This record gives sequence, C-alpha cells and structure tokens, in this order.
Amino acid sequence: MNDCRKDNLAHFAVTIIGKDRPGIVADTAEVLFKLGCNIEDSSCTMLGGEFAMILIVSHDKPFSKKKLEAGFAEKNMGNGLSAFIRTLKDDEVCYREPEGELCLVSVYGCDKPGIVYRITRELAERQVNITDLNTKLIGSPNEPVYVLMLEAALPNGMSVDEAAGLLENLKKELSVEISVRLITPVSL
Amino acid sequence: MAVKPIVIYPNPVLKTPAQPVERVDAAVIQLIDDLVDTMHAGPGSVGVAAPQIGAGLRVCVIDVSNNRHGKDNNHGLLLMVNPSIVARSGNSVMREGCMSVPDYTGDVERATEVTLRYTTPDGSPREIAASGFEAVAIQHELDHLDGMLFLDRITSLKTGLFRRKSFK
Repeated sequence: MNDCRKDNLAHFAVTIIGKDRPGIVADTAEVLFKLGCNIEDSSCTMLGGEFAMILIVSHDKPFSKKKLEAGFAEKNMGNGLSAFIRTLKDDEVCYREPEGELCLVSVYGCDKPGIVYRITRELAERQVNITDLNTKLIGSPNEPVYVLMLEAALPNGMSVDEAAGLLENLKKELSVEISVRLITPVSL
Repeated sequence: MAVKPIVIYPNPVLKTPAQPVERVDAAVIQLIDDLVDTMHAGPGSVGVAAPQIGAGLRVCVIDVSNNRHGKDNNHGLLLMVNPSIVARSGNSVMREGCMSVPDYTGDVERATEVTLRYTTPDGSPREIAASGFEAVAIQHELDHLDGMLFLDRITSLKTGLFRRKSFK
C-alpha cells in the first residue's frame, strides 16, 4: 500500500519473539483476529532458534495498546513468547516508494567484528537506504564465514556502479568479497 | 485507438484462461490497437495482454526496445495473436512487477531463451527466437493468457537465503 492510512484507524507496531515451535503465527494471528485487528504489513522469520514476528496492525478507533497487551498476555504468557507493542503516530504509517535504483549487496568472508558496522556506515553516509538486511554465520567452527545480504534503495541519480565504488575500499580493509547488483523491479 | 484502463486483481478475468482467436477480424485488430495504446500510456510498460484490459482472448503486445534491459536485444513491437512457446531453455531470475498487481514485486525464475509461434495481425504464422529480457516479457504476458500471475511463480522469499541446512 502506498497510501497513507485512513484517519479512523489506530496503528501499532507489534513484535513477537520466542523459542521456535509450530503455532507461533497461528497463536499471534488468533489474538489479533479475536480483537478485531487487521495485519497491515508483516515480516516473520527464524533467527537462530527463535521465531521473530514484526507486524503493523490496525484497528478502528478508539482502540488502545492496553487491549493488545492484555490479549497477548492472556494467550502467550507461559508459552515463552514476548510481545512488545508500540503505538504508531499517523505520520509513521505512510509508506514512500523509493525513487532511486534498488540494489542487492552481498558481502561474505572470514568472520570478524565490524563487517555489518563498516558496510552500513559507508552506505548511510551516502544516503543509501537499506530496505532489507539479513546476516548469517556459516562455515565450520574452525573457519567461520560471515554472510551479509542487504537490499538498498540508492539516492536519486546514484548508479549501481557508484554504489559498488563506495564499498570498494572495504574489500581490502575487511578482507571480504563484496558484490553489488541491480535488482530494480521490471514493470511488465 | 484508445487507451484502456488496466484491470487490477481481484478482477476474475485475470485468473481465467483466455480463449483462442478463431479469425483475425476487425474487432481483433481494434483490440490489438487498444493494447498498443495502453502499453504506450503505461509508464515504462513493455507489454500488455488482452485480459489486462478485460478481453478474454489470446492476444498480447510486447515492446522491450525502449527498456534498458531490452534495448540491445529485441524484435521491436510484437503484435501477437494465439502465441505459444514451443521451446524454452536456460533460466534466470528477475524481480518482476505487474500493472495488474500494484505495489508488489517478487523474484521470478524464467527461461532465458524461448521459441515463440504466433499469428500476426495480417493472419500469417510467424516464429521467432527471443532471449534475455524480451524472453522474460514474453513469458510474463503469455502467463496472463493462461490466467497466471507472477504471484503464482514467485520462487523464493527474499529472506529465504541461507536458511536451510540441507538442500534437496
């Protein structure tokens, strides 16, 4: 959805995390459904042995964060799930489509401190906006390998080659492989 | 000649296989003209299939020659009646979006080369071999004629990388 949300809706950011098991999504969705909430947007994934859910939910006004908290407390406590809820202001629920190119950055190499920090700081300083990021430690215990994949919207006018150039020096400094490629969607 | 509104999902015409054209008559020529006008009116559009303007016939138009991915490898404006892919090879992934499914994009795997047979607007058969982005566009538009959307073909959640301990 590109539009700003309707004035008559209250919006909340909900984060659920807990030891992975079948049923976490169903339990969460059940709480929301019974309260009459809509899931507007969500991203959920396994992280280590945890399952993490981040959702933007809405409900007709008036509706309070307390009702959500009570709903989750009733359902989830004792199941090892934590729920964090934040009320969103109206200006937080508008989504703006990135205008520049979208690129995917792959970074991988021997594990060491600072890979995520150095890469993302370099991008941030040039106003490159990360839209998605995940990292994973792979390889053997003797030779751990760190993999970072991120998607980012480049500022208007910046090419993928320029974005790759920003990270060029970090290849040596961090001894990692870095590749940047265009993934701007094609409109068909 | 007219620019038609693009039909948006959940309009059922998008999920209904289109009917073959039995004879290229004036109505079909008109449909082709409308498809071309509609394609040229859509910002950056490289193809439109008849169901996308509400017509359940196996007709589509494609032109990737103005697109950065297709400008060096294309057949120009393709006007296709009853197209079918008779051979395909290779595969590659592109992130696709569709005018009929606004605000959503996803990675779709497609053949890199296709051989296509179709009837031209003057009624004669034609066979072409397309590759690269033009081949992707052809597969996307032909899917529309079969009631398929790119949503039916998304191969991976982007966060799915490196999550599996075993690959089968």
